[in-house]
Amino acid sequence: MAKLTIPAEEYMYPGHAACPGCGAALAMRLLLKGLGPRTIVSMPACCWTVIATPYPTTALATGLLDHPIEATGASISGLRAAADAMGLKDLEIVGFAGDGGTADIGLQSLSGMLERRTDAIYVMYDNEAYMNTGIQRSGSTPAGAWTTTTPVAGASHGKPEPKKDVMGIVRAHHPVYAATLNPSFPEDFLRKVERARGLHGPRFLHVFSPCPPGWKYSSERTIELGRLATDSGIFPLYEVGEDGVLSITRRGGALKPVAEYFRAQGRFAHLTEAEIAAIQAAARANWERLLRLATPPPA
Amino acid sequence: MLEVRFHGRGGQGAVLASELLAHAAFLDGKWPQSFPFFGVERRGAPVTAYVRIDDRPIALRTSITVPDVVVVLETGLLRTVPVTDGLREGGLLLVNSALPPELIEVPIPVRTATVDATGIARARGLGSPTMPIVNTAMLGALARATGVVSLDAVRGSIVHVPAKPRENREAAADGFAAVRSGEGRHLPVARRAERAPPLPEGPIAAVPSSTLVTSSWRTLRPVIRLEKCTRCNFCWKYCPDDAIELDPSGFPVIREAHCKGCGICAAECPPKTIEMVLDAGARGGWGVR
Repeated sequence: MAKLTIPAEEYMYPGHAACPGCGAALAMRLLLKGLGPRTIVSMPACCWTVIATPYPTTALATGLLDHPIEATGASISGLRAAADAMGLKDLEIVGFAGDGGTADIGLQSLSGMLERRTDAIYVMYDNEAYMNTGIQRSGSTPAGAWTTTTPVAGASHGKPEPKKDVMGIVRAHHPVYAATLNPSFPEDFLRKVERARGLHGPRFLHVFSPCPPGWKYSSERTIELGRLATDSGIFPLYEVGEDGVLSITRRGGALKPVAEYFRAQGRFAHLTEAEIAAIQAAARANWERLLRLATPPPA
Repeated sequence: MLEVRFHGRGGQGAVLASELLAHAAFLDGKWPQSFPFFGVERRGAPVTAYVRIDDRPIALRTSITVPDVVVVLETGLLRTVPVTDGLREGGLLLVNSALPPELIEVPIPVRTATVDATGIARARGLGSPTMPIVNTAMLGALARATGVVSLDAVRGSIVHVPAKPRENREAAADGFAAVRSGEGRHLPVARRAERAPPLPEGPIAAVPSSTLVTSSWRTLRPVIRLEKCTRCNFCWKYCPDDAIELDPSGFPVIREAHCKGCGICAAECPPKTIEMVLDAGARGGWGVR
């Protein structure tokens, strides 16, 4: 029997209301394995508030607080202040927000929390659109993607603008820890959660979160798509410590072509060869930029 | 005025069915309206849609709580959703089932009609074998069982469907021909509380979600051939539903109440010992003893 490579303990209950094959559900399961039961998760309006609480149940064995969509950063700052006032020193405070609630609506609150040096972990699970309300584009939707508000019809050919660089915005606040995580790589995912848990101060985790209905692919391919995203340089895995040192945590040698990742998803089905070639060039440039930032620089 | 409530699952076409019915009524010279319940957008989760049909303009804009007709696109919903709630006396329950109406368990005495819309959709090649699109066969059956719209109007409405308009029109005619009417088997069952209990002081949600059953969402279920299992635990590791546990010797066991049939375990299993097979629920057997 193979040894377990991630903790056996579960703090997410089955019976939750996520779609079959939901990347965000696996992300939560892995996250809580790393954080343990002395955790309070604070969520804005997002897929996960619906997933977690089919009334009168909860899918989390930890504490759970619902808050308004723009308030994740403020909520976890307040929870930390309350825990301090009550003398509760062993609590981990976690904000768990989608990309819309982070990159768009909650950006001011995230910035405030980072700037106040709140001792908490902010998790952005990134399914690259407002999925809970039915696939509207967010600032984190990648260029070219179909959504209901960036349709493929007439003059519209998917989202024209590139994805917002939330990690760049977060890094400019110099948090004690920031990392990108992907549930397709559970061991790397858990190592980063555990590293974040051992630190104090503002910490940020950007979690890749494939969405079968929103990205238009068959639910059994969630893990495969996550792997392709990282190995093609679309979602590189790296971490940044308090000293600003950036380490790439999965190199995997030469990058895979992005076409395999794009062709697997209905939201990109309309893209032409030339458009995919342009995305390939952008992914390559982004990867090379990361390599230059990485310490120690590669030989 | 006639009020129709559709119950289906996300992805089955209940909302489109309500739009087609309204369009058909319009073609018959009536004043229709149709709209879905704005709930959570979840593939496989219960979905509700409404249609009103009248001979004159309709000013009402509310959801339908006292329907004349309830259309159920999947029998499993009879067990998990209170579909007959508010059904008007003398109303009609139309269920997608291969069984005769007398074998459909209903919580109140009600006129019941059945049609094997799943079988019709499969025969006409609508949707995939695992996710048949049953809505047009159900509309044909509805036209016959209620007379509220003509079959011609239903067929006329099936123009702007996403795929296979001809096959969908044929499915509507099949449903029209095959529907059977009768009386459901009245079997009072333990019902959900009529009203939500008052909010408790303190934690609002203290019951684990593992008390809920989510496997009724699935059309496929995983079957593990344990003799080929290497106990690598990949299936367990990647399950987004925590629906696989490992027994003391490290073999995976599916939690049948919670597995939604996403197929990740089968896709990620290195020796490919997991096969996804059609679940009984997908054949319309769910909810009928």
